[in-house]
Amino acid sequence: MRKRAWLWALVGIVLVGGVALGAEKFVVGCDIAWAPFEWVSPKGAYLGFDLDVMRMIAILEGYEIEIRDTAFDSIIPAVVAGKVDIGASGFTITAERAEVVDFSQAYWTSDQAVVVREGSGLNIVTALSGGAKVGAQRGTTGAGWVEDNLVGKGVNVTLVLYETYPEAVLDLLAGRLDAVVQDEAPSQQAVKEYAGQLVIAGIIKTYEEFGFLVAKGDPKRILPRINEGMAKLKASGAWDNLVAAYFGPSLDKIEAAWEACISILVEERDVVRYAQCLADRATQ
Amino acid sequence: MGQLLVVEGVCKRYGAEEVLCGVSFSLEKGETKVIIGPSGTGKSTLLRCINRLTEPDRGRVWLEGMEVTAPHANINKIRSQIGFVFQDFNLFTHLTALDNVRLGLLKVKKMGRKEATERAQAELARVGLAGKADAYPAQLSGGQQQRVSIARALAMDPKLILFDEPTSALDPELIGEVLGVMVKLAHEGMTMLVVTHEMGFARSVADEIVFMERGVIVEQGPPEKLFRAPAHPRTAEFLRKISELYGEAA
Amino acid sequence: MTVESWIQVWYALPVLLRGLLVNLELLLGLLALGLVVGMAVALVEVYAPRPVAAAAVAYEWFFRGVPELVLLFLFYFGPDQFGVQISAFTAAVLALGFRSSAYQSQIFRGAIQAIPAGQMLAARSLGMGRLRAIWHVVLPQALRLSLAGWSNEFSSVLKDTTLAYGIGVVEVMRQARYLTARNFRLALPAFIAVAFLFLILTYLGNWTIGLVERRLRIPGLEVRR
Repeated sequence: MRKRAWLWALVGIVLVGGVALGAEKFVVGCDIAWAPFEWVSPKGAYLGFDLDVMRMIAILEGYEIEIRDTAFDSIIPAVVAGKVDIGASGFTITAERAEVVDFSQAYWTSDQAVVVREGSGLNIVTALSGGAKVGAQRGTTGAGWVEDNLVGKGVNVTLVLYETYPEAVLDLLAGRLDAVVQDEAPSQQAVKEYAGQLVIAGIIKTYEEFGFLVAKGDPKRILPRINEGMAKLKASGAWDNLVAAYFGPSLDKIEAAWEACISILVEERDVVRYAQCLADRATQ
Repeated sequence: MGQLLVVEGVCKRYGAEEVLCGVSFSLEKGETKVIIGPSGTGKSTLLRCINRLTEPDRGRVWLEGMEVTAPHANINKIRSQIGFVFQDFNLFTHLTALDNVRLGLLKVKKMGRKEATERAQAELARVGLAGKADAYPAQLSGGQQQRVSIARALAMDPKLILFDEPTSALDPELIGEVLGVMVKLAHEGMTMLVVTHEMGFARSVADEIVFMERGVIVEQGPPEKLFRAPAHPRTAEFLRKISELYGEAA
Repeated sequence: MTVESWIQVWYALPVLLRGLLVNLELLLGLLALGLVVGMAVALVEVYAPRPVAAAAVAYEWFFRGVPELVLLFLFYFGPDQFGVQISAFTAAVLALGFRSSAYQSQIFRGAIQAIPAGQMLAARSLGMGRLRAIWHVVLPQALRLSLAGWSNEFSSVLKDTTLAYGIGVVEVMRQARYLTARNFRLALPAFIAVAFLFLILTYLGNWTIGLVERRLRIPGLEVRR
């Protein structure tokens, strides 16, 4: 236990306290409540696909990062105001957002999943018509899709908006909703958590792309380094291992793997071996 | 000048109402002067104008030849030399009797703590309240509170003390103990200016009586003259009324 | 709300308490700021010449009128416009502290005005300057009278500290949300746990203020109704 505390401290010093050493440091804004892209383990560690990608790129590109938990709606204002350098929180690249911030190359393509209660007998059509109550998280692609393609086109559904995804899922479980529309990965995670209670009725192919974002005009010249870092990760195979580790296994397994492997990243600063370790352990 | 206090032509107006108008008199050292008159004739306002708790509109006041009403007079220093005893005592509610007496010594006179405590205890003893040093005002009777407030004034070594109806707020049976202290002070040679309805006190202690009505001094003179043969009919009428209200003054 | 989920919340209690500690730090900061500024505003409102007092009234009007979350965002993002970087914690202390000062100033103003004018007159008649009279005579009494109202304000701002999570201060609400996001089943038990923590804190705080009130109690100096 003592050793572990020491390790946490080290994670903090290396990833957060870099500024003390005079190293270049960027603040990464993230709403850390959207597994498996970002969440907080029961022990208080910040982990997730977005955050590990940020950490690995930082090592490859030779800068330090500080991860700052920020409410999703506030991340872009914080980037615009200069309080946060990088937004990394599963942001879909949209023309609207691109007016105020600059995006990196896309790092993820996501579709929307329609989650229903198991045994409800609803399929992707019946779940989204005939007076169905459909839940979605405010400001997300899922909410926008329901608004534009169903409500806006006169389909008989009621859209109910939530501040967070878990709230929508809880209302679905309680029977107050018929379906919840959300990105595929978090939906898979929810269905896994509630095996036997929830099921995915179908996938809406929206092909939206996720990107990391920085202030308009990229005044600190961060984007080239993020893009270069991503290319390095993909070329080395680390990227595929990270995807295998984070998308599929249960959160418990990912957390155990992360705890076992993180020292490779923090102490040895070996990106490739870390991703390998994480994938091996998480998919065991 | 030779006079301790000189008041000259003091006027005070509240809105349209002229409360004081051209009031002049003087006070010698060691003298006790009593101001009498119907309620609401500006007696209290006059006292407050003397140490400028109320700012007079016109007129001047001197204390030992120093002008109190001068624009740049150090009013705090002057006030510390003029004791003021209020009708409703105004003891500091949050302080014990001892602390009430001691506060001015510590914070205005900058006296050391030990010396201030000794002095405050001596003053409490002087008004017969040595045993009540630790009592809070609410634990004291009205008469005791007023005696503490006199001790508070005395502790500052004032050149004179202004008494603003010091017994009017007291139950009848408590008036005597306060008057007793005041009589003692007068005999000790304290200079006092007293607004009161206590004609017995006025008659026996005052060197001079001032009768005021509607903001002006109607007449003034030694008590035996004023009580026996008032020069002005208004004075006579007031004295008659007051004896009906408070019993035969003697 | 299975037994299992309660066990998980129990194990997560240290995390929640760590968050609660941040709420307490916020609370101390904002109460201290609110006390100093609130007292100053109250004194200005009661004693200062009219134009200055009007400014204080306007200050109070602003901070009582603007919703807390808006204040938080103004203090968090506002300073950046002038090139000043401010942390979320500092922004929360300032926003909630100034807001509390507007409410505390009302409590203090009421208390100061409840002190009979004769107290001031008596102090001035001894030769005390105005400030000295306020400091030695008016304030010691007004502060005692304020304690009851202050106890209310304490309970109110204690709860307000949870709003700081809106600008990313990782306090107890944020920690509870982490738990919920990680495990949806914990939503209800986690927030019930948070509710209990706040009830306990409110009780302890008011008990302490009550103790102070009893210790400072002086016969004859009570809230006059």
